[in-house]
Amino acid sequence: MKQFVIAGNSAAGISAVEAIRTKDKESKIIVISDEDYPSYCRCLISYYLAGEVGEDKLLYRPENFYKDYNIELILNKKVLRVDPKKNRVILEDKTQLNFDYLLIATGASPKFPDIAGIKKRGVFGFRTIKDVKDIEKILPYTKTACVLGGGLIGLKVAYALHRRNIETKIIIKSRQVLSQILDFEAARFVQKKLEENGIEIIFGQDAVEIIGDGDTKAIKLESGKIIGCSLVIVGKGIIPNIDLVKETNIKFNEGIISNEYMQTNIPNIYTAGDVCESFDITLGTYAINALWPVAIEQGKVAGLNMAGESFKYEGSLGMNSLEFFGLAVVSLGMYRIKENDTSFEELKICDEKRNIYKKLILKNNLLVGGILIGDIRNSGLYLRLIKEKVDVSAIKEKLLAENFSYPVIKDLLKKEKEKIYV
Amino acid sequence: MKRLYYRIDKCLGCRSCEIACAVAHAGEETLFCAIKQKVLPRKKVYFFEGKNFPLSCLHCKEHPCVDACMAGALVYDKEKGLVIHNEERCVGCWICVMVCPYGAIRPDINRKIPVRCDKCKNKDEPACVKACPTTAILWQEEDFLLEVKK
Repeated sequence: MKQFVIAGNSAAGISAVEAIRTKDKESKIIVISDEDYPSYCRCLISYYLAGEVGEDKLLYRPENFYKDYNIELILNKKVLRVDPKKNRVILEDKTQLNFDYLLIATGASPKFPDIAGIKKRGVFGFRTIKDVKDIEKILPYTKTACVLGGGLIGLKVAYALHRRNIETKIIIKSRQVLSQILDFEAARFVQKKLEENGIEIIFGQDAVEIIGDGDTKAIKLESGKIIGCSLVIVGKGIIPNIDLVKETNIKFNEGIISNEYMQTNIPNIYTAGDVCESFDITLGTYAINALWPVAIEQGKVAGLNMAGESFKYEGSLGMNSLEFFGLAVVSLGMYRIKENDTSFEELKICDEKRNIYKKLILKNNLLVGGILIGDIRNSGLYLRLIKEKVDVSAIKEKLLAENFSYPVIKDLLKKEKEKIYV
Repeated sequence: MKRLYYRIDKCLGCRSCEIACAVAHAGEETLFCAIKQKVLPRKKVYFFEGKNFPLSCLHCKEHPCVDACMAGALVYDKEKGLVIHNEERCVGCWICVMVCPYGAIRPDINRKIPVRCDKCKNKDEPACVKACPTTAILWQEEDFLLEVKK
Protein backbone atom coordinates (compact mmCIF):
# COMPACT_ATOMS: atom_id res chain seq x y z
CA MET A 1 0.00 0.00 0.00
CA LYS A 2 1.33 3.38 -1.02
CA GLN A 3 0.61 6.87 0.18
CA PHE A 4 -0.26 9.49 -2.43
CA VAL A 5 -0.25 13.14 -1.43
CA ILE A 6 -1.99 15.58 -3.76
CA ALA A 7 -1.25 19.24 -3.08
CA GLY A 8 -4.19 20.96 -4.75
CA ASN A 9 -7.88 20.19 -4.97
CA SER A 10 -8.93 21.71 -8.27
CA ALA A 11 -8.95 20.43 -11.87
CA ALA A 12 -5.51 18.80 -11.96
CA GLY A 13 -5.72 17.36 -8.45
CA ILE A 14 -9.17 15.82 -8.87
CA SER A 15 -8.35 14.50 -12.33
CA ALA A 16 -5.20 12.85 -10.92
CA VAL A 17 -7.12 11.28 -8.05
CA GLU A 18 -9.70 9.83 -10.42
CA ALA A 19 -6.91 8.45 -12.61
CA ILE A 20 -5.09 6.89 -9.64
CA ARG A 21 -8.29 5.19 -8.52
CA THR A 22 -8.79 3.57 -11.93
CA LYS A 23 -5.55 1.67 -11.21
CA ASP A 24 -5.31 1.52 -7.44
CA LYS A 25 -8.35 1.26 -5.19
CA GLU A 26 -6.45 0.55 -1.99
CA SER A 27 -3.65 3.02 -1.41
CA LYS A 28 -4.11 6.02 0.79
CA ILE A 29 -4.72 9.34 -0.97
CA ILE A 30 -4.53 12.65 0.88
CA VAL A 31 -5.69 15.79 -0.90
CA ILE A 32 -4.72 19.16 0.55
CA SER A 33 -6.29 22.50 -0.32
CA ASP A 34 -5.68 25.99 1.02
CA GLU A 35 -9.29 26.83 0.25
CA ASP A 36 -12.32 26.18 2.38
CA TYR A 37 -14.43 24.32 -0.18
CA PRO A 38 -14.56 20.89 -1.72
CA SER A 39 -13.50 20.94 -5.37
CA TYR A 40 -15.55 23.44 -7.35
CA CYS A 41 -15.85 24.68 -10.90
CA ARG A 42 -13.37 27.52 -10.75
CA CYS A 43 -14.23 28.74 -14.23
CA LEU A 44 -17.84 29.27 -13.15
CA ILE A 45 -17.14 31.87 -10.49
CA SER A 46 -17.81 34.70 -12.93
CA TYR A 47 -21.20 33.12 -13.69
CA TYR A 48 -21.75 32.89 -9.93
CA LEU A 49 -20.92 36.59 -9.52
CA ALA A 50 -23.23 37.39 -12.45
CA GLY A 51 -26.04 35.58 -10.63
CA GLU A 52 -26.44 33.07 -13.46
CA VAL A 53 -25.26 30.04 -11.47
CA GLY A 54 -26.12 29.28 -7.86
CA GLU A 55 -23.55 28.19 -5.29
CA ASP A 56 -24.96 24.65 -5.30
CA LYS A 57 -24.03 24.26 -8.98
CA LEU A 58 -20.41 25.25 -8.37
CA LEU A 59 -19.57 21.90 -6.83
CA TYR A 60 -17.39 20.04 -9.37
CA ARG A 61 -18.03 16.57 -8.04
CA PRO A 62 -20.95 15.14 -6.01
CA GLU A 63 -20.90 15.74 -2.25
CA ASN A 64 -19.94 12.16 -1.43
CA PHE A 65 -17.04 12.15 -3.91
CA TYR A 66 -14.23 12.09 -1.33
CA LYS A 67 -15.91 9.33 0.64
CA ASP A 68 -16.65 7.25 -2.45
CA TYR A 69 -13.07 7.57 -3.65
CA ASN A 70 -11.70 6.93 -0.19
CA ILE A 71 -9.79 10.20 -0.02
CA GLU A 72 -8.69 12.08 3.05
CA LEU A 73 -9.38 15.75 2.35
CA ILE A 74 -7.52 18.45 4.26
CA LEU A 75 -9.04 21.88 3.73
CA ASN A 76 -7.88 25.36 4.62
CA LYS A 77 -4.22 24.45 4.88
CA LYS A 78 -1.40 25.51 2.66
CA VAL A 79 1.51 23.21 1.89
CA LEU A 80 4.46 25.31 3.02
CA ARG A 81 7.33 23.19 1.89
CA VAL A 82 8.25 19.99 0.11
CA ASP A 83 11.10 17.95 1.50
CA PRO A 84 12.10 15.64 -1.37
CA LYS A 85 14.93 14.04 0.61
CA LYS A 86 12.65 12.81 3.36
CA ASN A 87 9.63 12.33 1.09
CA ARG A 88 7.36 14.54 3.09
CA VAL A 89 5.44 17.79 2.89
CA ILE A 90 5.12 20.33 5.68
CA LEU A 91 1.84 22.16 6.08
CA GLU A 92 1.45 25.68 7.45
CA ASP A 93 0.35 24.34 10.84
CA LYS A 94 3.61 22.33 10.95
CA THR A 95 1.85 19.04 10.22
CA GLN A 96 4.14 16.70 8.33
CA LEU A 97 2.83 14.20 5.84
CA ASN A 98 4.89 11.44 4.30
CA PHE A 99 4.40 10.39 0.73
CA ASP A 100 5.48 7.71 -1.67
CA TYR A 101 4.25 9.84 -4.53
CA LEU A 102 3.50 13.55 -4.50
CA LEU A 103 1.55 15.62 -7.00
CA ILE A 104 2.12 19.36 -6.92
CA ALA A 105 -1.05 20.85 -8.37
CA THR A 106 -1.14 24.02 -6.30
CA GLY A 107 -2.40 26.20 -9.14
CA ALA A 108 -1.64 29.88 -9.44
CA SER A 109 -2.52 33.21 -7.86
CA PRO A 110 -3.54 36.53 -9.38
CA LYS A 111 -0.65 38.83 -10.17
CA PHE A 112 -1.10 42.26 -8.59
CA PRO A 113 0.66 45.25 -10.12
CA ASP A 114 3.12 47.05 -7.88
CA ILE A 115 1.29 50.38 -7.61
CA ALA A 116 0.40 52.65 -4.73
CA GLY A 117 -2.75 51.66 -2.88
CA ILE A 118 -3.03 48.16 -4.33
CA LYS A 119 -3.61 46.77 -0.80
CA LYS A 120 -6.62 48.99 -0.15
CA ARG A 121 -9.99 47.51 0.71
CA GLY A 122 -12.03 47.08 -2.45
CA VAL A 123 -9.18 45.73 -4.59
CA PHE A 124 -9.53 42.05 -5.50
CA GLY A 125 -8.08 39.35 -7.65
CA PHE A 126 -10.56 36.95 -9.20
CA ARG A 127 -9.73 33.33 -8.65
CA THR A 128 -11.71 31.82 -5.79
CA ILE A 129 -15.21 31.54 -4.34
CA LYS A 130 -13.87 33.65 -1.48
CA ASP A 131 -12.99 36.42 -3.94
CA VAL A 132 -16.59 36.40 -5.16
CA LYS A 133 -17.99 36.44 -1.63
CA ASP A 134 -15.74 39.34 -0.67
CA ILE A 135 -16.72 41.27 -3.80
CA GLU A 136 -20.35 40.46 -3.09
CA LYS A 137 -20.10 42.23 0.30
CA ILE A 138 -19.23 45.58 -1.21
CA LEU A 139 -21.49 45.37 -4.27
CA PRO A 140 -24.44 47.01 -2.47
CA TYR A 141 -22.31 50.13 -2.05
CA THR A 142 -20.76 50.00 -5.51
CA LYS A 143 -21.91 52.13 -8.39
CA THR A 144 -18.80 51.96 -10.54
CA ALA A 145 -16.16 49.25 -10.84
CA CYS A 146 -12.86 49.26 -12.70
CA VAL A 147 -11.36 46.08 -14.08
CA LEU A 148 -7.62 46.15 -14.70
CA GLY A 149 -6.63 43.99 -17.65
CA GLY A 150 -8.46 42.90 -20.78
CA GLY A 151 -7.69 39.20 -20.67
CA LEU A 152 -10.16 36.38 -20.18
CA ILE A 153 -10.56 36.98 -16.45
CA GLY A 154 -10.94 40.74 -16.88
CA LEU A 155 -13.63 40.41 -19.51
CA LYS A 156 -15.53 37.70 -17.65
CA VAL A 157 -15.57 39.77 -14.47
CA ALA A 158 -16.64 42.86 -16.40
CA TYR A 159 -19.47 40.89 -17.96
CA ALA A 160 -20.56 39.59 -14.55
CA LEU A 161 -20.50 43.03 -12.91
CA HIS A 162 -22.42 44.47 -15.83
CA ARG A 163 -25.06 41.81 -15.28
CA ARG A 164 -25.27 42.98 -11.68
CA ASN A 165 -26.00 46.51 -12.93
CA ILE A 166 -22.66 47.91 -11.90
CA GLU A 167 -21.20 50.53 -14.22
CA THR A 168 -18.04 48.78 -15.41
CA LYS A 169 -14.91 50.13 -17.07
CA ILE A 170 -12.08 47.95 -18.32
CA ILE A 171 -8.60 49.48 -18.28
CA ILE A 172 -6.25 47.84 -20.79
CA LYS A 173 -2.60 48.64 -21.34
CA SER A 174 -2.43 47.26 -24.89
CA ARG A 175 -4.56 48.38 -27.81
CA GLN A 176 -6.86 45.36 -27.87
CA VAL A 177 -8.86 43.01 -25.66
CA LEU A 178 -7.74 39.37 -25.20
CA SER A 179 -4.25 40.03 -26.56
CA GLN A 180 -3.09 36.62 -25.26
CA ILE A 181 -5.58 34.65 -27.36
CA LEU A 182 -6.78 36.83 -30.26
CA ASP A 183 -5.26 38.94 -33.01
CA PHE A 184 -6.18 42.60 -33.32
CA GLU A 185 -8.82 42.05 -36.00
CA ALA A 186 -10.59 39.31 -34.05
CA ALA A 187 -10.42 41.30 -30.84
CA ARG A 188 -12.37 44.12 -32.52
CA PHE A 189 -15.40 41.83 -32.80
CA VAL A 190 -15.35 41.11 -29.07
CA GLN A 191 -14.66 44.74 -28.20
CA LYS A 192 -17.61 45.89 -30.31
CA LYS A 193 -19.90 43.39 -28.60
CA LEU A 194 -18.87 44.52 -25.13
CA GLU A 195 -19.15 48.22 -25.98
CA GLU A 196 -22.54 47.78 -27.65
CA ASN A 197 -23.73 46.27 -24.41
CA GLY A 198 -22.58 49.15 -22.28
CA ILE A 199 -19.16 48.11 -21.02
CA GLU A 200 -16.63 50.91 -21.38
CA ILE A 201 -13.09 49.99 -22.41
CA ILE A 202 -10.13 52.34 -22.02
CA PHE A 203 -7.12 51.29 -24.11
CA GLY A 204 -3.45 52.19 -23.86
CA GLN A 205 -3.62 52.98 -20.16
CA ASP A 206 -2.46 51.40 -16.94
CA ALA A 207 -3.66 52.26 -13.46
CA VAL A 208 -0.85 53.97 -11.55
CA GLU A 209 -2.53 54.45 -8.19
CA ILE A 210 -5.51 53.30 -6.19
CA ILE A 211 -6.82 56.31 -4.32
CA GLY A 212 -8.76 56.22 -1.06
CA ASP A 213 -8.57 56.38 2.67
CA GLY A 214 -8.43 52.67 3.51
CA ASP A 215 -11.37 52.01 1.21
CA THR A 216 -10.98 52.36 -2.54
CA LYS A 217 -12.45 55.61 -3.82
CA ALA A 218 -10.88 56.00 -7.24
CA ILE A 219 -8.10 54.94 -9.55
CA LYS A 220 -5.60 57.14 -11.28
CA LEU A 221 -4.48 56.33 -14.81
CA GLU A 222 -1.11 57.03 -16.49
CA SER A 223 -2.70 59.95 -18.30
CA GLY A 224 -3.52 61.52 -14.94
CA LYS A 225 -7.22 60.86 -15.38
CA ILE A 226 -9.01 59.87 -12.19
CA ILE A 227 -11.96 57.50 -12.26
CA GLY A 228 -14.19 57.26 -9.20
CA CYS A 229 -14.91 53.66 -8.20
CA SER A 230 -15.28 51.66 -5.02
CA LEU A 231 -14.36 48.32 -6.55
CA VAL A 232 -11.22 47.37 -8.49
CA ILE A 233 -10.68 43.88 -9.88
CA VAL A 234 -7.27 42.90 -11.09
CA GLY A 235 -6.99 40.57 -14.07
CA LYS A 236 -3.35 41.08 -14.99
CA GLY A 237 -2.28 37.48 -15.28
CA ILE A 238 -1.26 34.86 -12.77
CA ILE A 239 1.79 33.61 -10.90
CA PRO A 240 2.18 29.85 -10.38
CA ASN A 241 2.15 28.87 -6.71
CA ILE A 242 5.68 27.48 -6.52
CA ASP A 243 6.82 28.78 -3.12
CA LEU A 244 6.69 25.25 -1.70
CA VAL A 245 9.54 24.08 -3.95
CA LYS A 246 11.70 27.20 -3.93
CA GLU A 247 14.14 25.87 -1.37
CA THR A 248 14.37 22.38 -2.86
CA ASN A 249 16.22 20.86 -5.80
CA ILE A 250 12.96 20.54 -7.74
CA LYS A 251 13.50 22.42 -10.98
CA PHE A 252 11.35 25.39 -11.78
CA ASN A 253 11.36 28.28 -14.11
CA GLU A 254 8.23 30.43 -13.95
CA GLY A 255 6.37 27.23 -13.15
CA ILE A 256 7.57 23.79 -12.07
CA ILE A 257 9.15 21.97 -15.00
CA SER A 258 7.55 18.68 -15.98
CA ASN A 259 8.64 16.02 -18.43
CA GLU A 260 6.32 14.12 -20.77
CA TYR A 261 5.15 11.93 -17.88
CA MET A 262 4.23 15.04 -15.86
CA GLN A 263 7.12 14.17 -13.60
CA THR A 264 9.47 16.74 -12.07
CA ASN A 265 13.21 16.08 -11.96
CA ILE A 266 12.51 14.10 -8.76
CA PRO A 267 11.08 10.75 -9.91
CA ASN A 268 8.34 10.36 -7.30
CA ILE A 269 7.21 13.99 -7.47
CA TYR A 270 4.80 14.98 -10.23
CA THR A 271 3.23 18.27 -11.22
CA ALA A 272 0.16 19.30 -13.23
CA GLY A 273 -2.13 22.22 -13.92
CA ASP A 274 -1.53 25.97 -13.66
CA VAL A 275 1.57 25.52 -11.51
CA CYS A 276 3.51 23.57 -14.11
CA GLU A 277 5.41 24.23 -17.29
CA SER A 278 4.97 21.54 -19.88
CA PHE A 279 5.84 21.12 -23.53
CA ASP A 280 3.58 23.21 -25.78
CA ILE A 281 3.02 21.40 -29.07
CA THR A 282 2.27 24.51 -31.11
CA LEU A 283 5.01 26.71 -29.66
CA GLY A 284 7.60 23.93 -29.54
CA THR A 285 8.82 25.19 -26.18
CA TYR A 286 7.93 24.81 -22.52
CA ALA A 287 5.01 26.97 -21.47
CA ILE A 288 2.35 27.40 -18.84
CA ASN A 289 -1.09 26.88 -20.31
CA ALA A 290 -3.18 27.74 -17.30
CA LEU A 291 -6.44 26.34 -18.60
CA TRP A 292 -9.05 24.04 -17.14
CA PRO A 293 -9.01 21.35 -19.87
CA VAL A 294 -5.20 21.35 -19.91
CA ALA A 295 -5.12 20.86 -16.13
CA ILE A 296 -7.53 17.94 -16.49
CA GLU A 297 -5.38 16.28 -19.17
CA GLN A 298 -2.19 16.79 -17.19
CA GLY A 299 -3.72 15.61 -13.93
CA LYS A 300 -4.92 12.45 -15.61
CA VAL A 301 -1.47 11.69 -17.04
CA ALA A 302 0.22 12.41 -13.70
CA GLY A 303 -2.28 10.24 -11.83
CA LEU A 304 -1.91 7.28 -14.16
CA ASN A 305 1.88 7.44 -13.96
CA MET A 306 1.89 7.85 -10.18
CA ALA A 307 -0.16 4.66 -10.05
CA GLY A 308 2.47 2.78 -12.03
CA GLU A 309 1.57 3.37 -15.67
CA SER A 310 3.99 4.76 -18.21
CA PHE A 311 1.69 7.11 -20.05
CA LYS A 312 3.10 9.89 -22.22
CA TYR A 313 1.48 13.31 -22.39
CA GLU A 314 1.14 14.54 -25.94
CA GLY A 315 1.82 18.11 -24.81
CA SER A 316 -0.36 21.08 -24.09
CA LEU A 317 -1.55 23.95 -26.20
CA GLY A 318 -3.47 27.12 -25.61
CA MET A 319 -7.19 26.55 -26.19
CA ASN A 320 -10.00 28.81 -25.16
CA SER A 321 -13.71 28.91 -25.78
CA LEU A 322 -15.79 31.81 -24.58
CA GLU A 323 -18.99 33.65 -25.11
CA PHE A 324 -19.97 37.26 -24.62
CA PHE A 325 -23.51 38.52 -25.21
CA GLY A 326 -24.18 35.78 -27.76
CA LEU A 327 -20.83 36.05 -29.56
CA ALA A 328 -19.01 32.71 -29.46
CA VAL A 329 -15.21 32.70 -29.62
CA VAL A 330 -12.70 29.88 -29.93
CA SER A 331 -8.92 30.32 -29.99
CA LEU A 332 -6.54 27.42 -30.58
CA GLY A 333 -2.76 27.25 -30.41
CA MET A 334 -0.98 29.93 -32.36
CA TYR A 335 -3.27 32.87 -33.00
CA ARG A 336 -0.97 35.49 -34.44
CA ILE A 337 2.17 35.40 -36.54
CA LYS A 338 4.96 37.92 -36.58
CA GLU A 339 4.77 40.39 -39.41
CA ASN A 340 6.82 39.39 -42.44
CA ASP A 341 7.32 35.84 -41.19
CA THR A 342 6.86 33.90 -44.41
CA SER A 343 7.23 30.47 -42.86
CA PHE A 344 3.56 30.59 -41.90
CA GLU A 345 0.47 30.61 -44.06
CA GLU A 346 -2.79 32.25 -43.11
CA LEU A 347 -6.29 31.34 -44.27
CA LYS A 348 -8.93 33.87 -43.37
CA ILE A 349 -12.59 34.84 -43.63
CA CYS A 350 -13.75 38.16 -42.23
CA ASP A 351 -17.46 38.95 -42.53
CA GLU A 352 -18.35 41.94 -40.39
CA LYS A 353 -22.00 41.95 -41.42
CA ARG A 354 -22.55 38.42 -40.14
CA ASN A 355 -20.15 38.92 -37.25
CA ILE A 356 -18.01 36.04 -38.42
CA TYR A 357 -14.24 35.88 -38.38
CA LYS A 358 -12.22 32.73 -39.00
CA LYS A 359 -8.50 32.45 -39.31
CA LEU A 360 -6.26 29.41 -39.49
CA ILE A 361 -2.47 29.40 -39.29
CA LEU A 362 -0.44 26.72 -41.06
CA LYS A 363 3.21 25.88 -41.09
CA ASN A 364 4.65 23.35 -43.55
CA ASN A 365 1.11 22.23 -44.34
CA LEU A 366 0.36 21.51 -40.69
CA LEU A 367 -2.30 23.43 -38.83
CA VAL A 368 -0.75 25.17 -35.82
CA GLY A 369 -3.55 27.40 -34.64
CA GLY A 370 -6.60 29.46 -35.37
CA ILE A 371 -9.35 31.78 -34.26
CA LEU A 372 -13.08 31.30 -34.78
CA ILE A 373 -15.57 34.03 -34.00
CA GLY A 374 -19.33 33.94 -34.50
CA ASP A 375 -19.28 30.48 -36.04
CA ILE A 376 -17.51 27.89 -33.91
CA ARG A 377 -19.06 24.78 -35.47
CA ASN A 378 -16.56 21.99 -35.97
CA SER A 379 -13.86 23.79 -34.01
CA GLY A 380 -12.94 20.44 -32.44
CA LEU A 381 -11.86 19.21 -35.86
CA TYR A 382 -9.27 21.97 -36.10
CA LEU A 383 -8.02 21.08 -32.64
CA ARG A 384 -7.72 17.48 -33.74
CA LEU A 385 -5.78 18.42 -36.88
CA ILE A 386 -3.38 20.46 -34.73
CA LYS A 387 -2.92 17.75 -32.10
CA GLU A 388 -2.53 14.87 -34.54
CA LYS A 389 -0.23 16.92 -36.80
CA VAL A 390 -2.17 16.05 -39.93
CA ASP A 391 -0.82 17.18 -43.30
CA VAL A 392 -3.68 19.30 -44.64
CA SER A 393 -2.24 20.19 -48.05
CA ALA A 394 -4.94 18.14 -49.80
CA ILE A 395 -7.83 19.93 -48.08
CA LYS A 396 -6.43 23.41 -47.62
CA GLU A 397 -9.15 25.16 -49.60
CA LYS A 398 -11.83 23.14 -47.84
CA LEU A 399 -10.77 24.02 -44.30
CA LEU A 400 -12.84 27.19 -44.15
CA ALA A 401 -15.55 26.12 -46.59
CA GLU A 402 -19.17 26.06 -45.46
CA ASN A 403 -19.38 22.25 -45.64
CA PHE A 404 -16.18 21.59 -43.66
CA SER A 405 -16.96 18.62 -41.44
CA TYR A 406 -15.63 15.32 -40.18
CA PRO A 407 -15.95 13.47 -43.53
CA VAL A 408 -13.53 16.02 -45.06
CA ILE A 409 -10.72 15.06 -42.69
CA LYS A 410 -11.72 11.45 -42.05
CA ASP A 411 -9.32 9.79 -44.48
CA LEU A 412 -6.36 11.96 -43.48
CA LEU A 413 -6.41 10.95 -39.83
CA LYS A 414 -3.79 8.55 -38.64
CA LYS A 415 -5.95 6.87 -36.06
CA GLU A 416 -9.58 6.01 -36.42
CA LYS A 417 -10.77 6.11 -32.85
CA GLU A 418 -14.39 5.18 -33.25
CA LYS A 419 -15.63 3.56 -36.42
CA ILE A 420 -19.19 4.44 -37.43
CA TYR A 421 -19.26 4.22 -41.21
CA VAL A 422 -19.60 0.78 -42.81
CA MET B 1 -24.67 -1.58 -25.55
CA LYS B 2 -26.11 -0.49 -28.88
CA ARG B 3 -24.55 2.17 -31.07
CA LEU B 4 -25.40 3.97 -34.29
CA TYR B 5 -23.66 2.89 -37.48
CA TYR B 6 -24.17 4.16 -41.00
CA ARG B 7 -24.12 2.47 -44.38
CA ILE B 8 -22.76 5.20 -46.58
CA ASP B 9 -23.70 3.41 -49.80
CA LYS B 10 -27.35 3.47 -48.73
CA CYS B 11 -27.63 7.06 -47.50
CA LEU B 12 -29.46 9.28 -49.99
CA GLY B 13 -28.98 12.47 -48.01
CA CYS B 14 -32.75 12.95 -47.67
CA ARG B 15 -32.33 14.29 -44.14
CA SER B 16 -35.34 12.37 -42.82
CA CYS B 17 -33.13 11.54 -39.84
CA GLU B 18 -32.47 15.21 -39.12
CA ILE B 19 -36.19 15.99 -39.16
CA ALA B 20 -37.05 12.97 -37.03
CA CYS B 21 -34.35 13.99 -34.56
CA ALA B 22 -35.67 17.53 -34.26
CA VAL B 23 -39.23 16.25 -33.83
CA ALA B 24 -38.19 13.71 -31.21
CA HIS B 25 -36.54 16.49 -29.18
CA ALA B 26 -39.34 19.05 -29.54
CA GLY B 27 -41.67 19.62 -26.61
CA GLU B 28 -44.73 17.84 -28.03
CA GLU B 29 -42.79 15.72 -30.49
CA THR B 30 -44.57 17.16 -33.51
CA LEU B 31 -43.09 18.73 -36.62
CA PHE B 32 -45.06 21.90 -35.94
CA CYS B 33 -43.58 22.14 -32.48
CA ALA B 34 -40.06 21.46 -33.74
CA ILE B 35 -40.32 24.28 -36.27
CA LYS B 36 -41.98 26.70 -33.85
CA GLN B 37 -39.39 26.04 -31.14
CA LYS B 38 -36.56 26.14 -33.70
CA VAL B 39 -35.26 22.82 -32.42
CA LEU B 40 -31.81 22.09 -33.82
CA PRO B 41 -31.42 18.45 -34.94
CA ARG B 42 -28.73 16.64 -32.97
CA LYS B 43 -27.76 14.80 -36.09
CA LYS B 44 -26.52 16.24 -39.34
CA VAL B 45 -25.92 14.73 -42.75
CA TYR B 46 -22.77 16.04 -44.42
CA PHE B 47 -22.20 15.82 -48.15
CA PHE B 48 -18.65 15.22 -49.29
CA GLU B 49 -17.19 13.94 -52.55
CA GLY B 50 -20.46 12.52 -53.82
CA LYS B 51 -21.37 10.70 -50.64
CA ASN B 52 -23.55 11.46 -47.65
CA PHE B 53 -22.29 11.07 -44.11
CA PRO B 54 -24.76 11.23 -41.25
CA LEU B 55 -23.05 12.29 -38.02
CA SER B 56 -24.04 12.71 -34.39
CA CYS B 57 -22.33 12.33 -31.01
CA LEU B 58 -20.46 9.02 -31.01
CA HIS B 59 -20.51 8.69 -27.22
CA CYS B 60 -16.79 7.92 -27.43
CA LYS B 61 -15.16 5.60 -24.91
CA GLU B 62 -12.47 8.23 -24.55
CA HIS B 63 -14.55 11.35 -24.20
CA PRO B 64 -12.59 14.61 -24.27
CA CYS B 65 -15.84 16.56 -23.88
CA VAL B 66 -16.60 14.97 -20.51
CA ASP B 67 -13.02 15.55 -19.35
CA ALA B 68 -12.99 19.17 -20.48
CA CYS B 69 -16.40 20.25 -19.20
CA MET B 70 -15.63 22.97 -16.70
CA ALA B 71 -19.16 22.98 -15.32
CA GLY B 72 -19.31 19.29 -14.46
CA ALA B 73 -22.34 19.07 -16.77
CA LEU B 74 -21.20 15.98 -18.66
CA VAL B 75 -21.01 12.46 -17.27
CA TYR B 76 -20.14 9.23 -19.05
CA ASP B 77 -22.41 6.32 -18.21
CA LYS B 78 -20.23 3.32 -18.87
CA GLU B 79 -23.03 0.76 -18.73
CA LYS B 80 -25.22 2.57 -21.21
CA GLY B 81 -22.31 3.82 -23.31
CA LEU B 82 -23.82 7.26 -23.12
CA VAL B 83 -22.45 10.74 -22.54
CA ILE B 84 -25.14 12.36 -20.43
CA HIS B 85 -25.57 16.11 -20.74
CA ASN B 86 -27.06 17.76 -17.68
CA GLU B 87 -28.58 20.87 -19.24
CA GLU B 88 -29.32 22.33 -15.80
CA ARG B 89 -25.62 22.59 -15.05
CA CYS B 90 -24.49 23.61 -18.54
CA VAL B 91 -23.50 27.27 -18.90
CA GLY B 92 -22.93 27.24 -22.67
CA CYS B 93 -19.17 27.87 -22.58
CA TRP B 94 -18.63 25.81 -25.78
CA ILE B 95 -15.63 23.90 -24.42
CA CYS B 96 -17.22 20.60 -25.48
CA VAL B 97 -17.68 21.92 -29.01
CA MET B 98 -14.04 23.00 -29.05
CA VAL B 99 -12.69 19.58 -28.05
CA CYS B 100 -15.02 17.20 -29.91
CA PRO B 101 -12.77 15.22 -32.29
CA TYR B 102 -15.68 14.60 -34.66
CA GLY B 103 -17.34 18.01 -34.70
CA ALA B 104 -20.43 16.15 -33.56
CA ILE B 105 -21.60 18.54 -30.84
CA ARG B 106 -23.60 21.38 -32.33
CA PRO B 107 -23.69 24.80 -30.74
CA ASP B 108 -27.25 26.11 -30.48
CA ILE B 109 -26.23 29.74 -30.25
CA ASN B 110 -29.79 31.03 -29.77
CA ARG B 111 -30.49 28.80 -26.79
CA LYS B 112 -26.87 29.16 -25.63
CA ILE B 113 -26.51 25.43 -25.21
CA PRO B 114 -24.69 22.69 -27.12
CA VAL B 115 -26.91 19.94 -28.51
CA ARG B 116 -25.83 16.36 -28.93
CA CYS B 117 -27.31 12.95 -29.63
CA ASP B 118 -28.80 11.29 -26.54
CA LYS B 119 -29.59 8.04 -28.40
CA CYS B 120 -33.25 8.97 -27.73
CA LYS B 121 -32.63 7.63 -24.25
CA ASN B 122 -36.22 6.92 -23.26
CA LYS B 123 -37.14 5.04 -26.40
CA ASP B 124 -36.35 1.52 -27.54
CA GLU B 125 -34.78 2.79 -30.75
CA PRO B 126 -33.48 6.25 -31.77
CA ALA B 127 -35.89 8.28 -33.91
CA CYS B 128 -33.34 8.63 -36.75
CA VAL B 129 -33.13 4.86 -37.14
CA LYS B 130 -36.90 4.56 -37.44
CA ALA B 131 -37.11 7.44 -39.88
CA CYS B 132 -34.44 6.30 -42.34
CA PRO B 133 -36.24 5.11 -45.51
CA THR B 134 -33.27 3.13 -46.82
CA THR B 135 -32.08 1.49 -43.57
CA ALA B 136 -28.79 3.34 -43.90
CA ILE B 137 -28.78 3.94 -40.14
CA LEU B 138 -28.11 0.84 -38.09
CA TRP B 139 -28.75 0.42 -34.37
CA GLN B 140 -26.44 -2.39 -33.40
CA GLU B 141 -24.45 -3.95 -30.62
CA GLU B 142 -20.76 -3.07 -30.67
CA ASP B 143 -19.53 -6.46 -31.91
CA PHE B 144 -21.54 -5.84 -35.06
CA LEU B 145 -18.40 -4.27 -36.57
CA LEU B 146 -16.51 -7.54 -36.16
CA GLU B 147 -19.18 -9.35 -38.11
CA VAL B 148 -18.99 -6.76 -40.86
CA LYS B 149 -15.27 -7.39 -41.17
CA LYS B 150 -15.84 -11.12 -41.63
